[in-house]
Amino acid sequence: MPRVLAPTVLISAHCDLPCGVYDPAQARLEAESVKACMTKVADNDDPDFKARALAIKEERSDLVKHHLWVLWTDYFKPPHFEKYPNLNELFNEATKLAGGGGTKASWDPKVADKLLGKIDEIAEIFWETKKAA
Amino acid sequence: MTGRRLGVAVVTGRSMEPALHEGDRVLVLWRGRPRVGRMSVVRLPPSEKGPRPISVKRVTRPSPGEPGAWWVERDNPAEGIDSWHVGGIPESDVLGRVLVRLPGFTRRVWRA
Repeated sequence: MPRVLAPTVLISAHCDLPCGVYDPAQARLEAESVKACMTKVADNDDPDFKARALAIKEERSDLVKHHLWVLWTDYFKPPHFEKYPNLNELFNEATKLAGGGGTKASWDPKVADKLLGKIDEIAEIFWETKKAA
Repeated sequence: MTGRRLGVAVVTGRSMEPALHEGDRVLVLWRGRPRVGRMSVVRLPPSEKGPRPISVKRVTRPSPGEPGAWWVERDNPAEGIDSWHVGGIPESDVLGRVLVRLPGFTRRVWRA
């Protein structure tokens, strides 16, 4: 009998990262798309696209904060904050950079770059604590 | 390739929830042109870590400023890679259109 259908394939609705695992890359990924909202809009004047970019930028800025808060409140433990005295301040600055005083209020990719820089600093400490564990 | 254009695809991952859940079977028209508002099977550009798997995303508009490319988005607001990360998808990487979810065919996905 002739086969009617093409071979079955797996299609992914994926997110690059395993779910349920602490990883600063989650915050980074969303921060990258916040930056992309800013840069894509800069060379585009379609008002619909700009409106969509604004909504996505708000939503994903919140996700950056969410992923950072999970690390701040759930992953990092008191000894980490003793060992890395700037850690609390890093989270404070990073979450503010993803908020109303940061990427939510701005279309300047430099603000997103600052946020990405803070996330990278947190990630560096994160991976040091992973090595030590 | 053969001329068979209709096929079944199995969904993995959560970026298209609530439209599609992991294990759902969908009917795909391979080489079917994308339609705004509908889902397509696309090849996303590789990440730093290597190629990404063939993916299902929602086509939301022609990619602004990139003639022939399509803008695709995740349905799940909280998870997944889409054009807001990787930009527009060239027409040649839009592999097929999702026609319909096959109700009653959802099964657990076994992965190596």
